[in-house]
Amino acid sequence: MMTFFEKQTNPLDQAHHMGNLMVDNMYTSGTAGKKFFTHLKENDTFLASRCKKCGTTFFPPRLYCEDCFIEIPEEDWKEVPAQGTVRLFTIATLNTFGEKLDEPKVIGMIDIEGTDGAMLGYIETDETNKDLIGSKVKAVLREKKDREGTVKDIRYFQVL
Amino acid sequence: MTRKVCVIGVGNTDFNSMTPDVSWKEFMYEACKKAYVDAGINPREDVDSFITCAEDYWEGFSIFDEFVPDQIGAVLRPCCTVCGDGIQGLASAYMQIMTGLVDTVAVESHSKISDALSYGDVVLHAMDPIYEKPVAGQVERERFSGPSYPEKSPKPLVGKTDEKGRVHPYYIAGLEMQHYLRSTKTTEEQCASVVVKNKRNAYDNPMADYECSLIEDDVMQSEYLFKPVKELDISPLVDGAICFVLAEEGVAKNLGVEPIYLNGFGYSSETPWFSSRGMDAGYATMASKMAYKMAGIKDPKGAFDIIEVDDRFSYKELQHIEALGLAKPGEAAKMLENGELEKDGKLPTNISGGSLGIGNCLEATGLQRSLEIVTQLRGFAGKRQVKNPEVGLAQSWRGIPSGTGAAAIFSRYPEVKA
Repeated sequence: MMTFFEKQTNPLDQAHHMGNLMVDNMYTSGTAGKKFFTHLKENDTFLASRCKKCGTTFFPPRLYCEDCFIEIPEEDWKEVPAQGTVRLFTIATLNTFGEKLDEPKVIGMIDIEGTDGAMLGYIETDETNKDLIGSKVKAVLREKKDREGTVKDIRYFQVL
Repeated sequence: MTRKVCVIGVGNTDFNSMTPDVSWKEFMYEACKKAYVDAGINPREDVDSFITCAEDYWEGFSIFDEFVPDQIGAVLRPCCTVCGDGIQGLASAYMQIMTGLVDTVAVESHSKISDALSYGDVVLHAMDPIYEKPVAGQVERERFSGPSYPEKSPKPLVGKTDEKGRVHPYYIAGLEMQHYLRSTKTTEEQCASVVVKNKRNAYDNPMADYECSLIEDDVMQSEYLFKPVKELDISPLVDGAICFVLAEEGVAKNLGVEPIYLNGFGYSSETPWFSSRGMDAGYATMASKMAYKMAGIKDPKGAFDIIEVDDRFSYKELQHIEALGLAKPGEAAKMLENGELEKDGKLPTNISGGSLGIGNCLEATGLQRSLEIVTQLRGFAGKRQVKNPEVGLAQSWRGIPSGTGAAAIFSRYPEVKA
């Protein structure tokens, strides 16, 4: 057999002391995040923000342009449809412990329509062998009553 | 007269999938001691400043800097941590020496990643917590919950089935490899050839831990884990420590050691947002441009006798060669096919075995690459010695999900002959 498959890989078999880091964090959504998610709670569309100077439309929306380094005022925010195009996709099979997931997950980089930005998200499809690049997809959101104002409100993207 | 900075000593441990016999302190001591002996100096008197390159979450400590001084000879001496790749540490050392405040600086970096039981989650934790990280799935638990395991059985969280739903963040590499293959018309088979080459090269490197005789079919038939990334496209994790001693060239002359000069370096970071980020290793392009300018290299093609680039995923070697301006997009694979990246080729690349052959040692990767270049320039590389190299380039990346990279140019001369 190939040599590297024979390595010992379980450090817990060796003399050791256990320890862990018990840390919980909250992350402030920020002004831009609050606006984006508050809108998403009540609507079936996304918000994006456009830099007047360079014309880049940021998605997720931001309060500043990272290129021009200037603020993006409120009047330069716009509503865009919660849909886009698959730029890239992969089929993930492992969990964070390096073990098999129960079901492989199709994850895509979705270019959001009307913006220069993109979003990572699950793609729901029966055809995992199909080349999804260039496919139009729509965000499937939670029922309005169940939305909590986080990215989890976007359940997955459905191929149109 | 302008000061010149050179490497006067290097030391390293072996690279192993696990190092259960030594603590992280003990193997850092080993690497540093070897470097000081190599340079012929006593760190307690002769080293003016100490730098470690480490990141708290990899180490499992808060404020890891505090755990560093004793094992590197830096107790009650100027000592700091650079939270970045080893080449970023070399850059800091260079700048310290150029100020004239110090003459000799030690730079250490290591991976004791076998101690980290939650590697995938640490990597995942490096993604934007509001928009991007939650896509992989999240642990839903009560806020401020305190200890997360039952008191009577102090077992780690690792292994609890309800904690296992999160997707491994290497899926980002699946997306990026897809992009690389499409935009450059490179094939999965050509990436498989990188794995074959580097794991074969590793046989001639006694430090390497993942040497293997493979053919392209073995790689192609290994399982898709993050399509198109296959199991053998991924460099496995490894433990190891490396120490460099840098000094002003006068120090080298007094010690009588043959100096290897650090002629140029650069580092650069992409925006962290995947939504706005390019996927063509722009960090490597910008870092290398900075390094070329500093070293006075106008055309990098033909400037180097040997290069070591980051190959933590097979496609990364080809992508980085192109990003460094050493090949046009899509041409790195052709150079590989033509044998140009072999030991006796035009541009020997990852003759050490790279991360695929030696193992992925995280923040120490830049020093691992630099170590190979220095060893080759000194002519100490044994069976894998490239014929009479004079100038070499080491390049590294901070790994998924980062967009940060660094590059360093070393040569046997104070000035690179452009």
